[in-house]
Amino acid sequence: MKTIGKKRMKKKLGRSEQRLKIVAVVVSLIFAALMLYPMVFAVSSSMKDNSKIYEVPPKLLPNAANSLSVVLDYSDQKGSEEQLKNQMMQDSVLTMMGLSQKMSDDSIMEIKVYGTKDGETVYYSRAHQMKLQMEKDYGIYKGTAIKKEVLLHDERFIRACDSIGYEFNLNGVSKKAPEGLGSKFEKKAEKILEEKYQTTGTLVSVGDQVKNILNLESFKYYLKMPAYIYPESAAIQKFGFMTFVFNSIIVIGFAMISQVFLCSVCAFVISRKLSKRAGKAVLLFFLGGMMVPFASIMLPQLIMYKQMGAYNNYFALLLPFLYPFGFYVYLYKGFFDQIPASYFEAAELDGAGSFYLYSKICMPLSKPIISLIALQTFIGNWNDFFWAWLVTEDQKLWTLNVALYNISNNVATKQNALMGLAVVTIMPVILLSILFSKQLKQSIVASGVKG
Amino acid sequence: MKKSSQKRGVKTSSYQFRKKITPWCILFFPMAFTVWLKYYPIVSAFFISLFQYDPINPPGKFVGFGNYIEIFHMQHYWDSWKNTFILLALQLCMCFLIPLIQALLLNELVRLQKCLTTLYILPALIPTSVNVIIWKWIWHPDYGVANQIVKFFGGEAQTWLSDPNLVKFCIIFPGVLGGGLTVLLYLSAIQGVSMDIMESASLDGCTGFGRIIHIILPNISFMIFIQLIMCVITTMQMLDIPYMYASGGPSGASTTQGIFIYNAFHQDLNYGKGSAASVILLFVIAAMTMIQMRFEKSEKE
Repeated sequence: MKTIGKKRMKKKLGRSEQRLKIVAVVVSLIFAALMLYPMVFAVSSSMKDNSKIYEVPPKLLPNAANSLSVVLDYSDQKGSEEQLKNQMMQDSVLTMMGLSQKMSDDSIMEIKVYGTKDGETVYYSRAHQMKLQMEKDYGIYKGTAIKKEVLLHDERFIRACDSIGYEFNLNGVSKKAPEGLGSKFEKKAEKILEEKYQTTGTLVSVGDQVKNILNLESFKYYLKMPAYIYPESAAIQKFGFMTFVFNSIIVIGFAMISQVFLCSVCAFVISRKLSKRAGKAVLLFFLGGMMVPFASIMLPQLIMYKQMGAYNNYFALLLPFLYPFGFYVYLYKGFFDQIPASYFEAAELDGAGSFYLYSKICMPLSKPIISLIALQTFIGNWNDFFWAWLVTEDQKLWTLNVALYNISNNVATKQNALMGLAVVTIMPVILLSILFSKQLKQSIVASGVKG
Repeated sequence: MKKSSQKRGVKTSSYQFRKKITPWCILFFPMAFTVWLKYYPIVSAFFISLFQYDPINPPGKFVGFGNYIEIFHMQHYWDSWKNTFILLALQLCMCFLIPLIQALLLNELVRLQKCLTTLYILPALIPTSVNVIIWKWIWHPDYGVANQIVKFFGGEAQTWLSDPNLVKFCIIFPGVLGGGLTVLLYLSAIQGVSMDIMESASLDGCTGFGRIIHIILPNISFMIFIQLIMCVITTMQMLDIPYMYASGGPSGASTTQGIFIYNAFHQDLNYGKGSAASVILLFVIAAMTMIQMRFEKSEKE
């Protein structure tokens, strides 16, 4: 009788535990899905083409990417080589810009133009959709209507072709005009070219191919996009989006190094050289400095920095990290206090100076705390925006956060490019955090328990 | 006799003195930099706030507490406090408890715990600008997901970030997804609750949700309170997030204290008023920090 009662109780207990477990799994998974959604959404948007991003309701997967090949024949043309080349360049610009404009709903990510003469392929040019879009949004055809007269006005088409890249050789180029491709779009393309963008060469065939890798190729052009938006800056012209990545690395790298070094020195002195009371006072002094809210000192700080000339240069970005952050001093001190005093005493008896004690005894023992401080500095400061935004006017000084904010405020920027840059920014961090998740967790927990 | 002893005293004390002075010499630079970069601006803020500051030939005309009186008579200033407190209230209602719930549930998991904790850290590492880019597109009135969901449930399409009544909600809402470092802090606090208590509770029949409510929550109440104050402090100083979403918002609806200060010197070029507002904000935050430290101290004892 008694045992049955016990059993029943156990069963009942088990059931309530089980219910909790099921709720925990379900709710946690829902949270995980909700958190992943924005990221997945960003990745998929970044791979969509320029018209699909405006689709309502938004699809989670990008469309298949089409590659369109257009073959034009010039056998009837009897001009000189120079004339022929000019005609072909004009035609290729017309077909590329025209088709990408008029067939924007068909997910055409790539257009190849071949020119043939007497059975030989003499001209080849290839453009990704994003390249054409950049030229249209910021480049040669900025703010123009995509019409035949406008496209060929002046020597624009030559600049466009130079920028896109082409091959021309009367004895035949490396690429051969393809034959027998599928032609889903032949009718449509033919009609568009006939009505709006009459080419000199006669249209032979239009072929299409599905090539999903083209969706990934877009990223190459996203990284170059800042060079189109900010053409005045030489550094951005050269490195594109990487300029901002470098700046962020410089700032955060400097912050990590200076914090690891400065805080350890301060903590060493507080922990080993000062009396308990003095140490506590100094620590409080450092901690107080860190608790000053940024919003309330940004104005005098800006005035002060401007007077010193630390404005619109790296000095202004790096200087705020040149004092020890109180919290890290506190973490260091907690660690140094635990190093047995006998180590130091033994060294001191042998005549070791303070510097020796610090560099040869203290630092080698404190590898775990160094990585913790470095990680904490990274987590705490790589998201800084407002200060960098206040002190940088020059585009080549922008950190990632500032650059992304400014690019996102540019009306011409397409959403897929923006999402692409966002993905480029967060991917390395996500990968690193997955790789170092153990250290990361430890460092967060350690800092939290003590703070 | 007297003289010699004094001399010896000087000699030993010279060594003592040197020993005493070295640490301060090392500490001099860090301390000087802290004073220069952090404490001096506070004094300078107070100093500027007493003047009708003229950036070209500073400090300009002395007006005493005129700037303070002036901003107290500004409707816009009080509006920005109101906005700050509404944002704070929204943050506390919508987002504050989410990491706690996530941590409590995470504690019950066995196999998923490891990968989910990694996932929960990610929001802390994603820069605000990226978050803002993604969420601005979600809130987009024409192409965004938010309006699709509203329409699906039969509601009317909204303009979200352009709507003065909704903009605060839109700024706070992304936090509902939770995650961040707080989850980990809660989790470590929960795992720090002693096993003895848990075991004796389970013997007394306190399992499942009962265990969470009667055992775990009272034991981590300290952590919850600390996080509450941290949340209040950070929300009071909120600056980048509302600025990046709406730059002060449609007709000032998302102007927080921080943005008010920024606008005061960037748009109105009124350094005095901006500094006055900074000083007041500093006092409010300092009071909050004081409460937190006091509480931490009492808990330790």
